[in-house]
Amino acid sequence: MGSLVVSKSRTCIKHLCTSWVVNPLYFRPTLAYLPQQSIMHTVRFIINPHTQYYSTKGDKQAHDRVAKEKGFTPRTRPAFPNSVFTAGTAKRTAEYMKKRAGVDTEELSNNTPARGRGSVKVALPDHPLTTSEWAKVKESSSKPERFEMQMMEGLLATNADINIAKSLLAYVVQDKGTVSYELLLRYLTLCVTGGHHSEVFDTYDIMKTCFKTLDTGASSLFIKGFSQTERWREALMVLEGMKKALLPSPRNYSDTIAGAALHGDTETSWMLYDELLELGLVPNQDTWQCLFQSGITQRGQEDKLFSVLSHMRDNQIYPEEPLIQTIKAWFESLPDQKWSGKFSYVAPSGECKNCKTSLESIQLTEEEYAALKDKVMKKVIEGSDVFKKTTPEELQSFKSFVKQRPPFDIVIDGLNVANTTPKATHSETLLAVVSELEQQGLNILVLGRKHMLQPSRNWDRQNMNKIKQKAHCFFTENISEDDPFLLYAALHSGVHCNFLSRDLMRDHKACLSDSATRRLFFKWQRGHQLVISHYVPGKRVRFQRILAYDTIVQTSGGSWHIPYDENRGDRATYEVPQKWLCLTQEH
Amino acid sequence: MMFLRSCSLALRCRNPRVSIRAFSSSRSAGKDALDLDAWKTVMRSQALREQSESESPSRSALDDNRELVEMWHQAGKFVPKNITDEQLEELARLATRSAKKKYLKFLAIKESHKISKKEKQEKNKSEREAETVTFKENVKEGECEQEAPKNTFLLRFWSSSGDREQSWRAAQAMRFGQPLVYDMSYEHHMSRREMENTVAQLMESEGWNRRAADPFHLHFCGLQPDGAYLRELCRRYGPQTWDRLLITATERTHVEMFPQQDLVYLTADSKQVLQAFDHSKVYIIGAMVDRSIHSGVSLANAKRLRLTTARLPLDEHLDWECGAKNLTLDQMMRILITLKHTGSWEKALEFVPKRKHTGFTGVTKSRFVPNDSSRSRFPAGAQSRTDGRKKQAERDKCWEHRD
Repeated sequence: MGSLVVSKSRTCIKHLCTSWVVNPLYFRPTLAYLPQQSIMHTVRFIINPHTQYYSTKGDKQAHDRVAKEKGFTPRTRPAFPNSVFTAGTAKRTAEYMKKRAGVDTEELSNNTPARGRGSVKVALPDHPLTTSEWAKVKESSSKPERFEMQMMEGLLATNADINIAKSLLAYVVQDKGTVSYELLLRYLTLCVTGGHHSEVFDTYDIMKTCFKTLDTGASSLFIKGFSQTERWREALMVLEGMKKALLPSPRNYSDTIAGAALHGDTETSWMLYDELLELGLVPNQDTWQCLFQSGITQRGQEDKLFSVLSHMRDNQIYPEEPLIQTIKAWFESLPDQKWSGKFSYVAPSGECKNCKTSLESIQLTEEEYAALKDKVMKKVIEGSDVFKKTTPEELQSFKSFVKQRPPFDIVIDGLNVANTTPKATHSETLLAVVSELEQQGLNILVLGRKHMLQPSRNWDRQNMNKIKQKAHCFFTENISEDDPFLLYAALHSGVHCNFLSRDLMRDHKACLSDSATRRLFFKWQRGHQLVISHYVPGKRVRFQRILAYDTIVQTSGGSWHIPYDENRGDRATYEVPQKWLCLTQEH
Repeated sequence: MMFLRSCSLALRCRNPRVSIRAFSSSRSAGKDALDLDAWKTVMRSQALREQSESESPSRSALDDNRELVEMWHQAGKFVPKNITDEQLEELARLATRSAKKKYLKFLAIKESHKISKKEKQEKNKSEREAETVTFKENVKEGECEQEAPKNTFLLRFWSSSGDREQSWRAAQAMRFGQPLVYDMSYEHHMSRREMENTVAQLMESEGWNRRAADPFHLHFCGLQPDGAYLRELCRRYGPQTWDRLLITATERTHVEMFPQQDLVYLTADSKQVLQAFDHSKVYIIGAMVDRSIHSGVSLANAKRLRLTTARLPLDEHLDWECGAKNLTLDQMMRILITLKHTGSWEKALEFVPKRKHTGFTGVTKSRFVPNDSSRSRFPAGAQSRTDGRKKQAERDKCWEHRD
């Protein structure tokens, strides 16, 4: 796989050049024309910044490389390898795979997007027309019955002058005698996005009187429109009216809270926020931004804002770029507390670069560990039907197996590890990994399936015998899943036990029913999962480093550390961000 | 000028009570503003005529949902115009906004199908009437260009004759034919929509079976008398047809009805490959539609009862592209019937949807590999059916094709 080929390239290029000199071979993807296929492949792999280069330079450069995709220099190596849980890793890997497969990403983006409803190109007037002029345009249009809707949607799409829309409505009234709800709704959208508040009020009166109730779309628009004006309290009434068949969305609440905060009524805004949480909705980042913003201008909300921060901690939510700036501004605006904030990184040992304090450890407490063990047994391994993943007899025999043996230091997912590279047979790879770990003096458990014991090209009998001598082995039935056994063995061997697999265990995490347990599982996984970063047959096996600290909003009395997302699009949900806001108090 | 007069006239005609401010303001200056806001006064005047709905104190969830659907329809969203009470109850049971929207979209599509069908019927009817009218006129006039309906000695083959023939064959299969079992024990794994889909597929597969030259003896095993399966089947078939259907539907399970060594459970998750059709075995198919993927449920059932399992040799005969290896029930039926009649996998696997594969491999694989270590023996393109642990390269191949 990728890691293998990189190392291979390093060995062959090492012969070509004496030291880490910039080699033209590194940078040119056009080396596809090289006769030697192997070098072409290896060089392509080098371009992938996901692979690790060991650096003697400082961590700052390493972090830069983590953040950016281009601009690596072959002399530098990051101080620690990129973890599979780092923000942006999955996206980079996906892009790299696409490039490698030869799919041109530009081609894909040039595809014309599918046309939606009402996107037929019609000629829109640029000034208000009279009714007779509108009638003429309608006659010349292709679809007379949808004419008004098309026109209005076109005006909305181009964000045209409000008077043109008004003239259209005047024409419709003259033509048909009334304006339909749909048309009024589109007109309302134009008013709200354009900020024409008097129009919004008029439309509200008209809609209230002409139609039975408002639908959800109109309600949302009115809430948004009213919150920007001095009649913001009426938005609350509309919100109440929305609660009949459907719950209001977090966006509606965000608008009302913004309206209340903008007009200085902090009590109402906090009441709405509590209601939002009670209903079980997830607040938007904009909501928090409004609240923190109002906290800057109006005193007395400190403890409520601190409770927002603890809510973010409990739910493992990371603020995004605009919100983190507002939080920083709020902290710095607190009178006579003299907070000062700086954006920084954290070293792998858990020390903040800015203030040198140690962050919280990633290890779980005793109670958390016991609870996790219990939940994993019940939900992941047994689940609703124990037959789905294994059989009761097999589970029982594995439990007694684990009980008899001394606690393991590392549990290996045999099949996953064996598939690391296509260059060597499976048994060879597994033997290399097991030997490496045995040299470090660890007590190893290898999990596999019964077919591995059958001699074949991939599973050589000699290698398997050597593995059996070096480590404890357990082989499940071919139709059973071996991942649950891996988790069971790792959890029951104690807090120090790590497990080795490239699998992100997302399907097993999803079996856990409540989000608190899932976060615990994720925390345990980040602290205990080893992933092979480098392997080349004949060379040493290298592993990705496990970070010693927990990426979560945390405080230690005199300082606050808040991790944030620089770019939400880059980070997958199973990854954690790398950048932090470090807030310290001066004495 | 003309417009203004007509506008004011219109206002006056509609509602004489509304004071016409048009003439009070100066025409030259406020003319544009007047034109633009005229519609508001018209709308407001309309409101006075509308009856205000009094809010009844007891509003049920049904009323709320009905109002929701009505207003969404007025706002132009894709929802049905008319909705029945059962559908409203179903809607009230759905919790989230997106679930409601999806259900309403489904109802709107059904409604639009009905409306277009009705329109087409009426159009055909009017066309036919016009034809007969012209024909009669021609006859009256004596110019018979079109001839009268012919007399012929060839008997017409009515569809009821075909039905009778098929029923006799089905009855014969019930006494002497090979059994085929549909296992109806997946009620709790499926949602309402999946249940409806399952029953539709069962109906189709029963139809294909009946039309075959040598039908199976169909068993619906594990059919609980108060379960969702039976309810849906009766609703779709109708009570008379369901009673007269020439299949065996029992509450007993397949292990009770047949000896254990004869049973083979066909499931896509199995590791054993079906090599050839065995006419002495009883094949079991799980009557489940898994739109929400529950992988391994049917295999779990088979494991619990310690039955032999098998999967179709899809990888061995087809160059698989992208798509689930779970086939629908009617596809399975057609494959098994063809297999029973001809014994040829090429003919049988014609019924696998063509979008999922690029064609037959053409390579005669003499040895079918029964277990997981087969990964090395297949050519690079074929995706071997593993337990979900696929190689990175193969997974990417699938992504590329999707892209």
